Amino acid sequence: MKKFKINVNGKTYEVEVEEIGGAAPAATTPAVPAAPAASAAPKTAPASVPGGAEVVSAPMPGKIMSIKVTVGQQVKDGDLILILEAMKMENEIFCGTAGTVKEIRVSEGAAVNPGDALVIIG
Amino acid sequence: MGTREKIADLQARSTKIELGGGQKAIEKQHNAGKHTARERIAKLLDSGSFTELDKHVIHHCTNFGMAEKEAPGEGIATGYGTINGRLVYVYAQDFTVLGGSLGEMHAAKICKVLDLAVKMGAPVIGLNDSGGARIQEAVNALSGFGKIFYRNTLASGVIPQLSVIMGPCAGGAVYSPALTDYVFMVKNISQMFITGPQVIKAVTGEEVSAEELGGAMTHNRISGVAHFAAEDEEDCFGQIRKLLSFLPANNLENPPVAETGDDPGRMDESLNDLLPDNPNMAYNMLDVITRVVDNGEFFQTMPHYAMNILTGYARVNGRVIGIIANQPKVMAGCLDINASDKAARHIRFCDAFNIPIVNFVDVPGYLPGMNQEYGGIIRHGAKLLYAYSEATVPKITIVTRKAYGGSYLAMCSCDLGADQVIAWPTAEIAVMGAEGAANIIFRKEIESADDSVGKRAEKIAEYRERFATPYVAAENGFVDMVIEPQETRPRLVNALEMLATKREIRPAKKHGNIPL
Repeated sequence: MKKFKINVNGKTYEVEVEEIGGAAPAATTPAVPAAPAASAAPKTAPASVPGGAEVVSAPMPGKIMSIKVTVGQQVKDGDLILILEAMKMENEIFCGTAGTVKEIRVSEGAAVNPGDALVIIG
Repeated sequence: MGTREKIADLQARSTKIELGGGQKAIEKQHNAGKHTARERIAKLLDSGSFTELDKHVIHHCTNFGMAEKEAPGEGIATGYGTINGRLVYVYAQDFTVLGGSLGEMHAAKICKVLDLAVKMGAPVIGLNDSGGARIQEAVNALSGFGKIFYRNTLASGVIPQLSVIMGPCAGGAVYSPALTDYVFMVKNISQMFITGPQVIKAVTGEEVSAEELGGAMTHNRISGVAHFAAEDEEDCFGQIRKLLSFLPANNLENPPVAETGDDPGRMDESLNDLLPDNPNMAYNMLDVITRVVDNGEFFQTMPHYAMNILTGYARVNGRVIGIIANQPKVMAGCLDINASDKAARHIRFCDAFNIPIVNFVDVPGYLPGMNQEYGGIIRHGAKLLYAYSEATVPKITIVTRKAYGGSYLAMCSCDLGADQVIAWPTAEIAVMGAEGAANIIFRKEIESADDSVGKRAEKIAEYRERFATPYVAAENGFVDMVIEPQETRPRLVNALEMLATKREIRPAKKHGNIPL
């Protein structure tokens, strides 16, 4: 049991807060965070991306069929980056910016989920 | 005062009102790459066609020293004019006057043109550029917003309502545009959000720029709040005029027919070679659409959002059609939450305004995944089924390639009331793809075979041969005709002509309950 002093509109209240056993931590992760309509946001960059870099991320769940770029390669807007097999289709994933391929985070045959970073362009 | 003096007084009043917030404020507006309210109206409408109403309206607020504060024109210009010779109503908020803030009388001016637009059956275009509610006017300002929302809703489906965001549009102000049919935004000038960057920083600690939070591309690409993005104001006015050229003035009229000079009987041989032989390869559905419609002109709505489905307007033999098409080039052309939402809204607009619907179908299915299921793909996907079934305008479906399972039904199959279903010989209308189906139907056979890989390939080929075609559907009457791709345009012209007198009466009801 924890005690808190809370001030509301100039009036002080003393309140006691009790943490209820093991169930409590679960409650702090609110029910499925209003699942973002993720597919439309191709730039949902994961935390570990260096500032200023562009992330090419997976638009949908699938398997990497082939990677068309190498690290250090110059790319421009609209260049083919890789082919993602999803929905039994060979989906071409294009670059959305100009720059250099900094990092390739997946390998051929890898399974990816929507929003996963595939290639980092700097 | 004699008559001469009275005329001079009138002229002085008009000049003052038309100058809005004064020369200095106008310069500031110009320096921000923005035009003033009356300049915008002049650029949007046919030259010299604008008639201004309620110029002399003033506010009644006396709180916080407002009694002495003048607001020429009440911070807004309202009236009517023509676009391409057709009547439209228009209002433009004047940012140079008290930041374009919305007070009771400012709102009253907007309400008047909304009422007139409904009575006359003409589109209304709102040019928004406002800091929001005029705080000094307190609940009277709020009431102003409420009155606008109410009218927007009552006018919905009666006249086309267009909202143009040409400056900040925050808090309650965003909901009038949200209630209208189309939202236009201008890059680097327009912003829409419920709470601005400062409030977000104070509450959640997130730091975000206004443009990133609610700029044109945010709402065109990510949120789907806006339907069009323009490079600058001029570009935006061009897009508005273009959109209106496809729309009827109200729900009792048909969309305007235009002479396009494109031969209705024109065949396009290149369509016969357009699809890749490998069914797993993508192609650009725009290449199909532009070869079929008049002069290759396809005006897309929401071109930056849910690009796995294409929506927009075109003409065929001069008549306007609304197009919904899967785009195999983006996300395999699958249906997901955003695509269902985008398409359903387009279908309902077309149905409300007597625009025949033409569907180009190549859909592998609904997108699987936790994101989609948690996000409610079931209820969002259902919008598509609902919208198609509900629509009573002519509905024509052209299946170019895949049409599998639930997504086959969802893309306006004959069972959802398509009036004519046309299939290319490349169509694969089946309950699911050959691989999946063969794996299920022949599982035992495949598992018990010595060479299970070879057996699987054999069974997949067998299934594909028999079922991944348009003929099983055609044999059952679910497809009206199988045509050569090159014939698509003349067939579509023919179908639209045949359907021109379509009449379909449904049981009377207050309104349906679309799964929102």
